[in-house]
Amino acid sequence: MGGEVQNDAAIMAALGRHMSRAVQKQAVAAGNLANLDTPGYRTKEVRFSDALENELLSSKALTTTDSRHLGGTVVEARSESGDVGGLDPRRDGNNVQLDRELLALGRAGGDFNAAQTILAAKFRLVRYAINEGR
Amino acid sequence: MSTLSSAINASASALDAQRTRMEVAVSNMANAESTRSANGQPYRRREVVLESQSPFETGFNQHVTQAAGVRVSAVLEDQSEFTKRHEPSHPDADADGNVSVPNVQVPEEMVDMLGAARAYQANLTAIGLIRDTIQRALDLAK
Repeated sequence: MGGEVQNDAAIMAALGRHMSRAVQKQAVAAGNLANLDTPGYRTKEVRFSDALENELLSSKALTTTDSRHLGGTVVEARSESGDVGGLDPRRDGNNVQLDRELLALGRAGGDFNAAQTILAAKFRLVRYAINEGR
Repeated sequence: MSTLSSAINASASALDAQRTRMEVAVSNMANAESTRSANGQPYRRREVVLESQSPFETGFNQHVTQAAGVRVSAVLEDQSEFTKRHEPSHPDADADGNVSVPNVQVPEEMVDMLGAARAYQANLTAIGLIRDTIQRALDLAK
């Protein structure tokens, strides 16, 4: 944000969005794993960049009236899931890859843990302030 | 939380489906030599048909990504020909001394069972990872 000071609430909200993003990734990967042997099933993925782009292109983008306002960065954690291209389907039309999905699950779990660690640290600071440093 | 519980539900539905697959494969193998069944014919090989469940069935919050579960839509009988085996001494042999034995191929069933076991394991791993995520989220309240 170009050297601007962000308040705690904005950082916490961003961490929260990061966590729900990781959760959605995990959910989609779990759904793919569940359908490992369903004929005709296509691997799904969450598309955040598309959702972000749509949000930025849409007229809903926030206008700033003050240089300290954060324009257009408040994006709803909205996402869409769609079929993944470029995976070779098996003979039954299913293109779920076990290793790919387990990796996605693990990676999303790591993302979630990272954000959770930072958020927990933030909460500790807030509690410290509430307790007047005790 | 609803997304995480949908993920656990999806994985649980897969455990259920894969267990059914395993049971059917076991029953096929157990009956590989059963020349009589309830309808008087030899045992017919059974096959599980899996079907993906639409995550939006509930109509709940369509913008939130939900995990798609899986269910057993049918257990069908394999209508392929029975195998003929020449064994005149068998009580179910026909006039030419041939016995119709079930259309079960044991190696095929073994492969199916391995696939089901592997998928079961993968989904169990997924449940473990999602449970870790839920635990971490709860840790925030500490």
